[in-house]
Amino acid sequence: MLYIKCPHCGWRSQNEFSYGGDATVKRPELGKEVSDKEWDDFVYNRKSLRGKHWELWQHLSGCRQWIKVERDTATHEIFKTLKASEEIS
Amino acid sequence: MSLTSPLANIYHKGKFGDYEDKNENDILKITEIKNLLIVQIVQYKNSKISFENIDIDNLKLKDKPLVVVKNNDTRILWNGPKNWLLVSKKKNLLKDILNVFDKTDFAITDISHSRAIIEIEGKDVKEVLKKGCPYNFNILEKNNSINSIYNGISFTLDMLESNPNKFRLFTLRSFGESFYHFITDASLEFGFKSI
Repeated sequence: MLYIKCPHCGWRSQNEFSYGGDATVKRPELGKEVSDKEWDDFVYNRKSLRGKHWELWQHLSGCRQWIKVERDTATHEIFKTLKASEEIS
Repeated sequence: MSLTSPLANIYHKGKFGDYEDKNENDILKITEIKNLLIVQIVQYKNSKISFENIDIDNLKLKDKPLVVVKNNDTRILWNGPKNWLLVSKKKNLLKDILNVFDKTDFAITDISHSRAIIEIEGKDVKEVLKKGCPYNFNILEKNNSINSIYNGISFTLDMLESNPNKFRLFTLRSFGESFYHFITDASLEFGFKSI
């Protein structure tokens, strides 16, 4: 069983979490002219990385908070978790 | 309007499972709990006011995982950051709660009607819970609470006593019957008495 350390609740089973996509995608700046490609990249286009990757997860059956998780997509090893408001260093 | 309890159609008193030749104190005791006030308290994300001085039934909110603040009638469970579940025998406490919390900073919701509540007591309760819930119950202590899942059903667990173990389990009313079946099926091997 895969365990994720929720920054709010502590170690919990992955069953309590829901995957929420790439955590490194940034929304285009508000009020700025946005090209179709920039918008497509923000909404649709995703890299399918092998290796370390920052992801969004929601602790759906726990504290219901969104968190950031650094996970290896090949080995499923989890290196670090952050609150959603914390910046990836 | 008359109230129908969430488990009215399936909850039967009696002894079930492997209870024969066992001492009454060694089998599990399962009870449906009714008539509790359940209030969800959420502080809005953009709210800056301090909640530490707010007094509800002589209790202060604590924003700390697992922690339950309690007195004889009321228990306040930590549900998440700035998110609590107040459970009380005092049905008229809602008025006081609405008075002490500012509407611009807190969302107060009475969810008393929308939860099925089961209390389960006995030395083997943790074994019953481990059958369906991935949480490490060995680290859970008296007056701790968690949100987790039991065979896929989201539920809130409040540990009332530790010797013998006594837990109060809350789930959505609509999941109540399935949840009750999961708990009672898991309890059969230990024997249980519905009170």
